[in-house]
Amino acid sequence: MFETVLIANRGEIALRVLRACKELGVRTAVVYSAADADSAAVRLADQAVRIGPASSRRSYLNAAAIVEAARQVGAQAVHPGYGFLSEDADFAEICVDNGLTFIGPPPSVMAALADKSSARALMSRAGLPLSPGSVAPVPTAAAAAEVAAAVGYPVIVKAAAGGGGRGMTVVRTPGELRRAYTRTRAAAQAAFGDDRVYVERYLTEARHVEVQVLCDSHGNGVHLGTRDCSVQRRHQKLVEEAPAPALSAAVLDTIAEAALRGALAVGFVGAGTLEFLVDAEEKFHFLEINCRIQVEHPVTEMVTGIDLVHEQLHIAAGVPLRWRQEEIRLHGVAVECRVNTEDPARDFTPTPGRLERFTPPGGPFTRVDTHASAGYLVGPWYDSLLAKVIVWAPDRELALNRLERALDEFDIAGPGVHTTIPFVRRVLDDAAFRKGRYTTGLVDRLLAAPEAASAQRPAATPAPRPASAAEPDTTLRRTR
Amino acid sequence: MTAGDATVSTVEAPHDAGADGEEALAGLRRQAQHLIAELAGPVRRIRLRSGPAVLEVEWHPEELTRTDVPAGVVEAAAGPPAAPVRPAVPGRAAVRAPIVGTFYRASEPGAKPFVAVGDLVRPGQPVAIVEAMKLMNEVTADRAGRVVAILVEDGHPVEYDQPLVELDPA
Repeated sequence: MFETVLIANRGEIALRVLRACKELGVRTAVVYSAADADSAAVRLADQAVRIGPASSRRSYLNAAAIVEAARQVGAQAVHPGYGFLSEDADFAEICVDNGLTFIGPPPSVMAALADKSSARALMSRAGLPLSPGSVAPVPTAAAAAEVAAAVGYPVIVKAAAGGGGRGMTVVRTPGELRRAYTRTRAAAQAAFGDDRVYVERYLTEARHVEVQVLCDSHGNGVHLGTRDCSVQRRHQKLVEEAPAPALSAAVLDTIAEAALRGALAVGFVGAGTLEFLVDAEEKFHFLEINCRIQVEHPVTEMVTGIDLVHEQLHIAAGVPLRWRQEEIRLHGVAVECRVNTEDPARDFTPTPGRLERFTPPGGPFTRVDTHASAGYLVGPWYDSLLAKVIVWAPDRELALNRLERALDEFDIAGPGVHTTIPFVRRVLDDAAFRKGRYTTGLVDRLLAAPEAASAQRPAATPAPRPASAAEPDTTLRRTR
Repeated sequence: MTAGDATVSTVEAPHDAGADGEEALAGLRRQAQHLIAELAGPVRRIRLRSGPAVLEVEWHPEELTRTDVPAGVVEAAAGPPAAPVRPAVPGRAAVRAPIVGTFYRASEPGAKPFVAVGDLVRPGQPVAIVEAMKLMNEVTADRAGRVVAILVEDGHPVEYDQPLVELDPA
């Protein structure tokens, strides 16, 4: 195991990784920006290095500063968390070139998978079903129109270099395609420096099901079952659960096994997630693969009893997988909701501010991952994820009740500060959600419902989202 | 240079190397041979360029060349992190580190320090170097003043925004 690990992130995930390191007897060092000098991770780490100003471009996205910090603290490995540089193959390579272990897949694998179009081709070769559409990027609007006509509308135009819900445009009619194609390419060029896009069929009434995998550096891999992340607003997840509900056990097994096959076929190493869309007929289509620990990883931890960050560290240290597939058993149901400092009544505009009160819930089988505390200042520089509330119960009904109970206890208040808790409550109250029969259309349906309309205050100008923070929050529609 | 770090030497080719690319390259090669002969350690990398002619040689200082440990690890183990000579006096003006890295008082080993205690500095005057990822970042005074103290020891790591040189504003 490593002696010292540098944590190259902030917020709740920096704390999450720090805790895992401490539990394994690993010395911890964190980097921080001038805005995070008083953070919990800085306070709890064995060592902290200030690497730049609040601007993430000059701090958490500054590869040179992070590698310098790693050298200063004598770290052997860098944990990138999620967001920021976690899926940046160049950063991973810089780490390796400087004698540091990057806790994630090899840079070459990351590079191949970060490109959605190349990931599609690789997974198709590994036998995974893709949603109908183009495997290679489409070079012209005319070519895009041809693909769209062949697969049928609605379609989604996706940036090959996009990720975290950014860089996609849904097109409902042929008349909108040319404009959407041009716009997505231009926006992708601006956001990712890469304007290649591809076109696939957009499934409106589908479930977003993902599979957690762990692969070691010796060619072994296991899957840890499924998560359902269909409760999304503009491709940003709000509520996640494990295992995916209301799908037959046979289909869940098939998806999980296919995901693991795909991961092993591309030489994946570490903790990864393969995302799928599952349609009404329970047919599944590969979407993308994420090469990092994910925000929603705790629900998998709760149903498997396996600490995914511990496993990331063991795998990065070269240890063969500590679990065989038959040893991984799923118990009960875990549900997570994200508590973001956003105002659901104002189009989920971020509402930074000082937290005068902050009392997280407690009680049995209730886990809160947060970096906040009373008096904490939610700054405008990073993404708005404040806390994750995760509960476990033997069955789904009880898990949902427990989550409602936990949210009742959560006391957050500060001038101008709003959270997503009221909206999450509406999700938990929804009849279709309760039955486990919901799709990615759920949030839009709730937002269009009369309760939402009457609760809506006059729309203020949405504040610009902060530049890339934890899981990037900005869709192209927002950045326009 | 810090212990174990690869050392870089950059030499500009003489102007008389000529506009002819071949001739410029030959000149660079000769310069490289001279340099390598004088080096105290194995060469790690050589870069020749004949445009605005540049020659770069990177080598490991001999006493620190170890095959069993990557260079970065040796360096990391050297020296306590971010150790100030003395803490900055709160409220006093100081030139601060623009980036995390290694603090140097002079442009190269053995050279005269940029500034010493008692010196008067002008705004924009170089007062130190912070090296990050083998890039030398010049640190300049943001105001005029007299140097009261050098707050960090030469060759020690510094954090972003750490006070480096204390000034008594003129």
